Amino acid sequence: MILVVGLSHRTAPVDVRERLTAGSEALPAVLARLSARNELAEVMFLSTCNRAEVVAHAPDAHVEAAVRAIREELASHGGLAQDSELAPFLYDKRGDDAVTHVFRVAASLDSMVLGEPQILGQVKDAYDAAVAAGALKGMLGRCISRAFAVAKRVRTETAIGAGSVSIASVAVDLARHIFGELDDHAVLLLGAGEMAEAAARSLSKGARAVRICNRSFERAAFLASAMRASAVPWAELEREMVQADVVVASTASREPVVTRDMVKRAMKARKGRTLFFVDIAVPRNVEPAVHGIDNVYVFNVDDLEQQVARGLEARRAELAAAEKIVADEVTQFLSWTRGLEVQPTVVAMRAKARAVLIGELERSLAGRLRHLGQAERDALTQMLDAALGKLLHAPTTRLKARAAEGDDAGELAAAMRFLFDLPEIHADRAQADDGDRAGAKGEASEDDEDERLPN
Amino acid sequence: MRGSSSSSRGAYGRDAHELACLPRLGHDRAAVNLWPADLLFGATAAVYLAACTLFVAFLAGKGEGAARWAPRLVAVGVPLHAAQIVVSSMVLHVCPVEGIHFALSVASMLAAGAYVAARSRFRIDVVGAFVAPLALTFLLASRFVGVGPGDAPRLRSAILPFHVIANLLGVALFTLAFAAAVAYLVQEKRLKQKKLSGVFERMPALDALDRAEHRFLVAGFPLLTIGILTGTLWAREVETGGGAWIARAAFSYASWGLFGLVLLLRAAAGWRGRRAAYGTIAGFGFTVIVLLLYLARDAAGGGTVAMGGP
Repeated sequence: MILVVGLSHRTAPVDVRERLTAGSEALPAVLARLSARNELAEVMFLSTCNRAEVVAHAPDAHVEAAVRAIREELASHGGLAQDSELAPFLYDKRGDDAVTHVFRVAASLDSMVLGEPQILGQVKDAYDAAVAAGALKGMLGRCISRAFAVAKRVRTETAIGAGSVSIASVAVDLARHIFGELDDHAVLLLGAGEMAEAAARSLSKGARAVRICNRSFERAAFLASAMRASAVPWAELEREMVQADVVVASTASREPVVTRDMVKRAMKARKGRTLFFVDIAVPRNVEPAVHGIDNVYVFNVDDLEQQVARGLEARRAELAAAEKIVADEVTQFLSWTRGLEVQPTVVAMRAKARAVLIGELERSLAGRLRHLGQAERDALTQMLDAALGKLLHAPTTRLKARAAEGDDAGELAAAMRFLFDLPEIHADRAQADDGDRAGAKGEASEDDEDERLPN
Repeated sequence: MRGSSSSSRGAYGRDAHELACLPRLGHDRAAVNLWPADLLFGATAAVYLAACTLFVAFLAGKGEGAARWAPRLVAVGVPLHAAQIVVSSMVLHVCPVEGIHFALSVASMLAAGAYVAARSRFRIDVVGAFVAPLALTFLLASRFVGVGPGDAPRLRSAILPFHVIANLLGVALFTLAFAAAVAYLVQEKRLKQKKLSGVFERMPALDALDRAEHRFLVAGFPLLTIGILTGTLWAREVETGGGAWIARAAFSYASWGLFGLVLLLRAAAGWRGRRAAYGTIAGFGFTVIVLLLYLARDAAGGGTVAMGGP
């Protein structure tokens, strides 16, 4: 059974989440500890700033023990008391719920910012680390691979990733609608606060020049050194506006620092070239009347937040379609896994039937039929194999179909084991789990099973 | 024949041309085989119509596929349109620029061709939403609307081909400049009003439209200048005149002056964006008036030569 145990932005505050994060350097050690637990057949550790989750595969009989093991390891990793500090924030999901959760996380349906694209890369990093650590071997590996395909489907078949949903991305989007490509524009930063820095970092990717103008030149110079920009004195503000294409304003001034007269003079010197102000300061740094000047556009924090809200609303409107894709994919994946559960019964049934038939054939070939040549012996073997295939085709496909439909195929499998005198059910399950771990599956139907799970 | 405007309606203005041209060229009407021209006409119209439909779908926000395929369909339509013009003129033994409708079909084909050549460079795919219907309209007009009679021998001149070709190319480029200017104003208004949804998201960048409009004007202005000069020389040479001619000349000079002013003010005083767009639209308006005066002349049956005069 697939399990997810962990916490996320929905259940835990940042001070708990940050205790459980594991960067790329710490990840191998965490994976090694988890892999060493006998309760877990396969394991992956997903660590982002918004979630820390262990995704694991464990034999059905050992699920409770597996959950306990993961909780212990998480508490140990975060240096938290398991019962008092960690347990209130942890969730665990099992079976169908766990698969659904993994698919939803990869498709960015469980992200803080719905539809954000980074999560898929983070899941891929976690998968790569688990593969490198030898912690993914069969069932869970397939589940995560499938999650990537689900995320791709959701992204291409819905508009869950469309629109801008942050102040910085809205500003970049607007700048693109005004200037087209942003690779030959100049950005001027008024003020050196954190908000301005975030917006300017997005806007200045590939910019011709980034200049920072702040009342405190030292602060401007400090930020400039961190952003590969240049600092300019506050007194140069008007002259800098002649050169810039995008001005990001975020000073703490109580009065506007950019006035209509100032911009009119700058526009004359610019010969009418378009100027775009992103005013994310409160109170506003740019006089509203500036927006009325030809070829000048001013967007303040309210304008930008309206766009953010619109983007989020548009994404939420896509949620139902995305959830439907996830639900379809979960059904398909579970059909595949249930088919896998009856696999040992099918394999055992075919092996036993073949052993009986081949045994009888060999006895005959040693007795009454010993006069037959090698060609005739081979033909008889082939005939028996063909007859065996035809005879067992119906019970095999019906058992698999019952399992895939989610019905209780266990009773049917038990009946077959009873009728054919095959090993007991717990042995079957263990065999299935071991088979997953070792990558060994039923010889005849492995391809069939793969076909049933679309890639 | 000059007074036969009412009987001049038909395929490719066929009746008029055949009455005017075929006897002159010594061809028998029955011997004219029109099916290749008809086939090309149908194919071109179908492709342009599909492009128009996709552009409408794109502007209505009905999918990215429409945005990808609509300009490609215009690109398919242009060679078909060119072939239709060549084959029609060969079949009918008529100069492609003879008769204002046929000439407008040539101009719209040139506009569509210039659009196809410039759209990737200037990133102005949406301009095709104006160019494709225009090309379709003039293609249909060349076939279903009658044209005036052929040119009078006394008005033929060596200057005339230069005049007509320069004017056609100029009109094609000004059409694109006009389309870019209109798109600019739509985009600019939405930006000023901060209405950033719907069509705003599907339009090209504001600066790309302004840049494209300017470049189409820069390319079209020398052609218009040549058209004006050769038209003036031609008028002197053939000693034409009259009120209609003066009106056409006045609007031609006005459009030339306006386009020149737009370019001059942009370079000297930084008049770009909205002001340049309004200037371009006004200049194109005068060009359209000149074309309408030619159409009115042909409809009245008083034609001389397609686009003859400034």
